[in-house]
This record gives sequence, C-alpha cells and structure tokens, in this order.
Amino acid sequence: MPNTSQSTYEVEQGQSLWKDAFRRLKKNKLALFGACFLIFLTGISLITPLIAPYEYDAPDYALGAAGPSAEHWFGTDLIGRDLFTRILYGGRISLMVGFVATAVSLLVGVLYGATAGFLGGRIDSVMMRIVDIMYALPFTIFVIILMVFFGRNIILLFLAIGAVEWLTMARIVRSQILSLKEKEFVEAAISMGLSRFQILTRHLIPNTLGPIIVYTTLTIPNVMLLEAFLSFLGLGVQPPMSSWGLLIHDGADSMLESPWLLIYPSIALSLTLFSLNFLGDGLRDALDPRVAKD
Amino acid sequence: MMPLLTVENLATHFHTRAGIVRAVDGVSYTLEKGQTLGIVGESGSGKSVSCYSLLGLIPMPPGRIESGSAHFDGGDLLNISKDELRKIPGQRISMIFQDPMTALNPYMTIGAQLMEPLLLHKGLSKEEAAKRSIEMLEAVGIQDAEQRMNAHPHQFSGGMRQRVVIAMALITEPDILIADEPTTALDVTVQAQILELIKSLQEKNGMAVILITHDLGVIAGTCDSVAVMYAGRLVEQASASSLFHSPRHPYTHALMKSLPSMNTDGKELYSIPGMPPDLTKPIEGCAFAARCEHAIEACRGDIHLHSIMPDHATACIRAQKGEL
Amino acid sequence: MKKIVLKRLLESIPVLWAIVTITFFLIRLAPGGPFDREKELDPQIQERIEAHYNLNAPLMEQYTDYMGGLLSGDFGPSFKNASSSVNELIAQSFPVSLELGFYALCVALLIGLTAGIIAALKPNSWQDYTPMTLAMIGICVPNFVLGPILLLIFGINLGWFPVSGWEEAADKVLPSITLGAMYAAYIARLSRGGMLEVLSNDFIRTARAKGLSETRVILKHALRGGVTPVIAFLGPATAGLLSGSFVVETVFQIPGLGKLFVESAFNRDYTMILGTVILYATLILILNLISDLLLTWIDPRLRNA
Repeated sequence: MPNTSQSTYEVEQGQSLWKDAFRRLKKNKLALFGACFLIFLTGISLITPLIAPYEYDAPDYALGAAGPSAEHWFGTDLIGRDLFTRILYGGRISLMVGFVATAVSLLVGVLYGATAGFLGGRIDSVMMRIVDIMYALPFTIFVIILMVFFGRNIILLFLAIGAVEWLTMARIVRSQILSLKEKEFVEAAISMGLSRFQILTRHLIPNTLGPIIVYTTLTIPNVMLLEAFLSFLGLGVQPPMSSWGLLIHDGADSMLESPWLLIYPSIALSLTLFSLNFLGDGLRDALDPRVAKD
Repeated sequence: MMPLLTVENLATHFHTRAGIVRAVDGVSYTLEKGQTLGIVGESGSGKSVSCYSLLGLIPMPPGRIESGSAHFDGGDLLNISKDELRKIPGQRISMIFQDPMTALNPYMTIGAQLMEPLLLHKGLSKEEAAKRSIEMLEAVGIQDAEQRMNAHPHQFSGGMRQRVVIAMALITEPDILIADEPTTALDVTVQAQILELIKSLQEKNGMAVILITHDLGVIAGTCDSVAVMYAGRLVEQASASSLFHSPRHPYTHALMKSLPSMNTDGKELYSIPGMPPDLTKPIEGCAFAARCEHAIEACRGDIHLHSIMPDHATACIRAQKGEL
Repeated sequence: MKKIVLKRLLESIPVLWAIVTITFFLIRLAPGGPFDREKELDPQIQERIEAHYNLNAPLMEQYTDYMGGLLSGDFGPSFKNASSSVNELIAQSFPVSLELGFYALCVALLIGLTAGIIAALKPNSWQDYTPMTLAMIGICVPNFVLGPILLLIFGINLGWFPVSGWEEAADKVLPSITLGAMYAAYIARLSRGGMLEVLSNDFIRTARAKGLSETRVILKHALRGGVTPVIAFLGPATAGLLSGSFVVETVFQIPGLGKLFVESAFNRDYTMILGTVILYATLILILNLISDLLLTWIDPRLRNA
C-alpha cells in the first residue's frame, strides 16, 4: 500500500512543519512584539466602551483644543473631545475594517484562485487573464467613485476594499494549488475514491494554508491603509464616528495650532501597521522552507 | 625543480548554527608543471572546498580558512590582498564548475562571457577577444561558433553549455586548470574530445590540471598522481599507477570495489557500509575507522599521512606497519 | 517584439472600452447629479442647464454621443468649470502630476535601489538591518501622515522649504519625497530580495572565479537579475503612485490632476471624472506594457516564450 504510506508521510511532515514554523516564529523578536501588540489592541477594542475615559462624541466647548494633560492624556480636539477616547474608538473601526475587508478579499480570492487552479486548462487561463486585466485597472479611482456616488456607508467600504485586494490572493492560491496537484498525495486521495470537492476541501486547501496565512497578515495593513486613505479624503468613515484616517485628516488640518491631533493618531496607525507587517514578515520567514533551511 | 603549486596544511571550516563544519582539515599536496592531479572522494569529502579555498571562492562568513598556505609563483594564495588575488583566478588559475546548467550567466550572451577575462585580464581589443573566443568555441566542438557568440545560455543544451564553460576556463591559457567533475554532462565522444584538448594545452603550455571527481574510473586514464580525500582529510596520496595497482588504504580499496567496471562477475555492486562521519564533531584518530573492517584500537589514536614507498603515502597506520 | 507590442495594444482597446462604459453607467445610474444643490434651484433653470449639457436625453443617446466625441479625441465640456473643456483642464493639470510622479519615481529608485543593494551585499549585518528597518518605517508611515509631518517640521518649524505651491525647485522637494518614500521602501525590499537570490546563483561563483572585481560582479553580472522584481513591481505600482498623488497634491496644494479628480468626483462632474479615468487607465496600461517590455529586454529567457 504505497499510497497510504505516502499520505501518512505528508501528514506527519505537515505537523512538524507547523511546529517548526512556530518555533522559528518565537525566535523572531519583532514578529513576537507585533503579535503581542495586536492581541493587546484587539482586546482593548473589544472592551473600549468599558475602559474609555470619556464619551467619544461628548464635546467640551469651554475647553476646546487643549494639549496633553493628566485629565486628557492625548489632549482634546477643536471642540474639546478627548483624543485618547477618540483614538480608542477610531481603532475599533480601523481594525474592524481591516479584518472584515480582508475576510471579504480572502473569501473571494481563495474561492476564485482555487477554482481556477483546480479546474485548470482553458477555464484557468481565462480566469487568470481576467485577473491580469483587473490588475491594470485604476482601482483606487473606482473605489473613490463608488464611495462618492453610492453614499459613504461602511458596508460598501468593506466590499469596495475587499474587491481591490482579492487579486493577489487569487494568484497565490492558484499557484499553490497547481503545484500541489502534482504531488502524490492527491493521487492517493483520488485512488481512494474521494470526490473532487472532498479533495479540494480536505487536502488542497489545508495544504495551501501557509502562504494564505502569510498573505492575509500582510493584506490587513494594506486594507487599513486604504481605509485610512479614503477617510483622509473624506470618503471613508463619516463623522461623528471616527477612524484613524479621519483623525489624521482632522489633525493635519489643525497641525499648526495643535500638532498633537496629528501626532497621536499617526503613531497609533503606524504602530499597528508595523506590528502587522513584522508579524507577516515573521510568519513568511517561519513558513517558507527555503528561508528556513539554515 | 620548484613545484608550481604547494598546498600545505590547508584547513577550511564553516561556522554554522549547527556547529563548526570541518570541511577541509589539514590537506597538503604539490602540483608540478604539466602534471595532472586527481582529487577523489565522495560528495562532502571536502574535495571541492579545498580547491575553492585557493581561489577565494569560499563565502565568508560562514566559511573561514583556519590555517595553511598555498604557494604559487612566489606568493601565498591564502595570504595575499584581495587585489593581488584577483589577478590570479580566471587568468592564471581557472576553474570549470560542476553544473553546466547554472554556471553560465543567463542574462549575458555567450560571447560577452567568453570575452570578459580576455578584455579584463589580457587587455585584448574587442576584435581580438572575439576572434579568440570563436576559435576557442570551435576547439571545444561548437559549430557555427560565430553566430553562437550572440546566443544566450538558455538557447544551448546542457552539453553545449558545459563546453562553453570549459572554453571559458581555457581561454586565458592558465597555468593551472581546476576541473570539478568537468565531463559528467557530456557524451563519450565529446568527453574524449575535451580531454584531448586539455591534454594538448598541457603539452603546449605546460598547464597543470587538478581534476576533482568522485569517480576513480575517470582518474585512471587521465591523472599522473591521485589524492584520496575522506571527511576533509587526505587518506592516501600516490602516483596513479601505484594507487591502482596497490591501494594502501581501506577506504581507497572500498572505493575501487564499488566501481562498476571492477565488478566483472555480475555480483551485486559493493557499497561501503555505514555513513560518512558528522563533520561538526571533532574526529579522534582515523575518520574511516568507524566503517573500516580492519579497524583496531590504535586507529583511534594519532594518525598521519606517511610515505611507505616513493610516490606513495597513506594515512592508515596498519598499512604503514605493513599489516595490510 | 513588434508583434507583442501590437497584440498588447490591441488587447487594451476592449479593456479601455469596458472601463469607460462601466464608469459611464455607474456614475449616471447613481443617485444625484452635477447640478443638484442643497438649496433647490428653480426647476426651470435646472432644466435649462441640464438641457444645455444634453442631460435630459435618453441615457443611451448620451452614451453614443459621448463615445462619438471620444473617438475624435473630445472629452466634452466640464460641467463644473463652465468656461473650460475637459481637454483644457487636463492639459493644464496633467503635466504637473506627471512631473511630480517623475520626481517621486527618481527619489524612489535612487534611495530604494541603493539601500536594497547595500543590504543585499552584507546580509544580516548593520548595513542590512539599518536600511531594512528604515524601509519598514517607509511602508508603515503612509504619505498622508508623512506629508503633514514633513510640512510641519521642514516647512513650518525649520522654514527650509515652502509650504505649498508648484513653481520653484524648492516647492518640489517635500512633495516628491512624500510621494516617493513608500515606493523607495518597497523597492529597497524587492531589490534586496532580488539581489540575494541572484547572488546565491552558481553563475556568480563563475564570475568570481574569473577574477572579476566585486564591483564588476555586482554591476555586470548580478544587477540585471537582481532588479527584475523591481521592474515587475514598477508597472502596477504606478497605479499607486497616481492615487498617492491625490493625497500629496491635496496636502501640498499642488494644482495637479489628482487634486482635480478628487474635486470633480465630489462635484459629480461626469465628463471630468470620465476623462481622468480614461487618462489614468491608458497610462497604467502603457506603463505595464513598458515594464513587461523592459523585463523581456533584461531577461533573454522570456524572449522566446
């Protein structure tokens, strides 16, 4: 029964791959820092209403824009709202956009890429040609048009950003599927009488997980950047809600008089992007066997 | 007469995360003008590393040349400045690498790669260099050499690429040619043609050759003397005829037994039992002792390469005592 | 080679057509129009204005009219700037954006390639870590953060550079750095990766064995292969360079096409939006083609494929 032994071998190899990857990841201080910071941030976001010192939309006109102080750690904005609170609430939105829009792109990308790679042949080449063409489209422009014309609501924002980011994911998944299709354990599965769908869900998708995890981690910062960019142009999240992009936009407007309004949200956004990128890089180094060999 | 090249006590180690790999550990040999020296050993025995060390091709770090000297033309290759060293490889000592598929630059034309050492080292004009390159391509048996000069490596077959690599090494008419498994990718007739070309250059210019191979069969027909390497050390060194007639080290003996051509009675091919030793751990005594059927307690002690007759030295203490 | 270019150009015609058509119907079907105001206009006046721009005609007729104009190179009148046509507005602002993009690209290539190559030559040393950490900062500090901060420090506090405008050379320093920084960062990472990959190849060892100087090994033998990922990145990246210009032109008050596009989108200036979309799409298609051609020029193995 050479086929069976082959597939057992793959499973064992798979497990040690994950264990190895985790061990390598633990050695990477920056990636570890990124992971901790993100866990911390996600935790904070979940309980923001409980810990925020003020209401996010409660103005204090008498105070106006005041610098950092004991009462207002990061200062207040032009109408006296507490910046620390607003950054907490803004982070909630930014993170949510990051995760949800990435999930949308992940879903579309994986389904599309897996279908193309698995069906192969003509269908594959047509599907990938479409991706090639879409790469060449001025997507940011479309997103801007969409947001202007169809109202600036957050669901549309998810869809629009997700629609931009799925292309690379589709490519990665497809090439993974193609290379895995050649491997013996798929033949083993076929010889054991599994249907195409079963092969796809039980063997191919679990085995492409490494690159998908890495790319997902690196997509989240891109998505957050895009959201912040749109909010900066006034096309993303709408007041009185806030996101980091929007806070940076407001901060840039009044940076002469109250630079803290620009600096603190910028630090929050950059630090989060750093963490995600470091974690993504760390995961890639940990999961890529070519880098891992020494 | 002074030998052309004298290598003494060369040791090249790699400092990796897994520990210090003693890839080459105290190797000495000499090479005379016009002579061919064969270095034999399994892969990982240090035969290639010992030659890369001479040309400064060891990546440092992790590699480090721990000790030794290599006297060539009044200087020490291991102890000269980078600028001085640069005048030697490619011009006075050139090298043929093992894998023809990857040894050529895919982004440059064959012609540009061939002409490069002539333009840089020999100061030839472009026309002269081109003319010389075409001659060289023809000499290694490439047809339509003139048109082929503008081709890129991917347009050549493996055998043709290997011939280009050989032409590139011979084009500066070096004093020493180091050939690392040079003819593996070639069929027998081309192989003979190339070896003939090398031999004629040896006769014409007194070029010396170091031939690196794992195949004792290749050595037999081409080499004057042979050095057998095992686990980074020399275990036997002799003239080719002496070595083939009476190998005086159990490892050499085992290598010969595993040659297909030595196996005339149709029995299963011999393979040496056991595995080569882990080079990250210091080896006490004879490195081959663990796999050797003749090993005795004394083999774990101090061992050295000793001459047992003119032109024949072995590191086996039992052979030195005349017991084997 | 000519055949490939021709094929690609022919292929881009249906793509462009699809982009124009989708955009056209998208913005028309969306609620709201260019002459909707917060204060209700006199319905008669509104009607007259819309009739003037042929907005009352059936949509299909407007579409065929517009496409007809496009074929003769006419982007139509701007709905918001009554006195000028879209062609004129683009002719004024596009050169500014192009100039900004060009400087930003120069900044990105100069800094990015240098940093990436230096890092690749000494992997895992401080010459590697320093530029790569800087590159990470470049990626994580978006241009709409970098721009205002540079403005605050060098424009306002130190007073070294003007705060806005696009006339003298000094005006162009901060915007070009702001726009180029992130691309410099990406290019540094890509060229480092590319160089490391190439330098690990056997043919580099062959080159060293020829006794070439290290400089020659790198410039003549390694660089071509090492920059291929950068070139592959540059084609699609120009799209990002363009959208980056929306922000930079807004922050630094530069009268370029990016700023004009964002304004026209907010104003629902149909013809202006369409005109910019067509221009950007064409530009992206052309730049992608150039980047592909450069790749085949660099890597002979791609030529026969």
